[in-house]
Amino acid sequence: MEETQVVGLLVRRCVGGDASAWEEIVQRYHRRIYNVCYRFAGDSDNAQDLTQEVFIKMYRTLNTYDAGKGAFMTWVTTITRNLLVDHFRKSKGDRITDSLDSTSSEHEDAQPLSEQIADRGLPPDAAVQSRETREMVHSALQKLSPELREAVILRDLQDMDYREIATALRIPEGTVKSRINRGRAELARLLQRTYRQVM
Amino acid sequence: MPGETKHGMECTEFEALVSDAMDGDGQLSAACKESFEAHRRVCGICGPLFADVQAGQQWLRSLALEAVEPPVHLVHNILAATSGVASTRLHTATPDGRTTRFGQRWRERWDSYSASYFRPVAGFVRQPRFVMSFGMIFFSFSLALNAAGVKPADVAKVDLRPSALRHAYNNAQIKVVKYYDNIRFVYEIESKVRELKRANTPAEPGPEEQKENRKNNTSGPPEQRQDRNYSQEYNQPVLAALRDGVVDASPAVTMTTNRRFV
Repeated sequence: MEETQVVGLLVRRCVGGDASAWEEIVQRYHRRIYNVCYRFAGDSDNAQDLTQEVFIKMYRTLNTYDAGKGAFMTWVTTITRNLLVDHFRKSKGDRITDSLDSTSSEHEDAQPLSEQIADRGLPPDAAVQSRETREMVHSALQKLSPELREAVILRDLQDMDYREIATALRIPEGTVKSRINRGRAELARLLQRTYRQVM
Repeated sequence: MPGETKHGMECTEFEALVSDAMDGDGQLSAACKESFEAHRRVCGICGPLFADVQAGQQWLRSLALEAVEPPVHLVHNILAATSGVASTRLHTATPDGRTTRFGQRWRERWDSYSASYFRPVAGFVRQPRFVMSFGMIFFSFSLALNAAGVKPADVAKVDLRPSALRHAYNNAQIKVVKYYDNIRFVYEIESKVRELKRANTPAEPGPEEQKENRKNNTSGPPEQRQDRNYSQEYNQPVLAALRDGVVDASPAVTMTTNRRFV
């Protein structure tokens, strides 16, 4: 049986009041939702709270899910994304984002990041292996604006395709691609600056 | 410059194709890819931009390799908050598909609970302030016991057999009764002595009579009533006048002062 059919059956059972079906859904998706929340919110406590909120909302609105309109994961991602954005607005954690447009001097762009890092004796592959580097990337991700952050998280961390992301975020595919590119480039520049400070 | 055409491709067009170009082969046609690559090599803006996007994607992929493991009790909490039904599973699936045993799961849960409850307590106990306070309490307690003559050796020698306890209870009861009887004897003697004294001495006037006498007696100094307020009001004028040897009885000087009498 296909994944879509399995999930559809689980949803129907759950709507019918089958507690074990709901538990199955929670077991299947909690890890993925937690990861999205963790990468977006930045810390474990908030991620736990947000994951719980996502599932509470899912539980209440499960009967509104229409398999014909899209994949279950896309529907879940939409709920997650809406809650994350709400959380971001509530917490007023509007961080100062180093926008691509405001990024300064052109000489920074003159040399690709990979070459700059290689010049300092830190090959990207080796550096990425270390936990410190991952934490650095994680904290740099928090500095992106929410729009760019959610786009890169869904694409590069959750491996969703452009169409799914566009459906989940309710924006055109072209905008999704643009945001992903801007998010990636901005992240690279932030990390580049961090490396300059560390070195 | 944005909008500039290089190798048959504008910068805006290049930007739109970056995602497709990075997603791998097959997304762009051969001609399009050739123009894209040529533009990337030549353009001073799009080339570095592409490099940054590529680097950013690599960093993010590195994060994707390490999925964050959610807390053990998360599923339990979610189920409790939604359906209110506890998990029926004895095994929990790990990300790699393996399952954990029931005991291991309980151990994990115990670890998480102990981490949340005992660790803060242990951290508090280890503080020098707490250790000092505890030491002072212990020292005071042992000092008080020493002063009272209680020795740990004596406590160890206490006979806790029922017959011995009954014997000790009876002894204590006898002591209390004897003490009470003695006290009663003393009080009886004291009251007898007081009665004898009263019978021998003449009768004194009662307290009511004494009070009457004091009211009629005006020879003594008046009672001082300290609660009377003789001070003048704050804004009341003071009139100065000559009284003796002056024909005119009207005041010589009339002046108003704001001085306050204390």
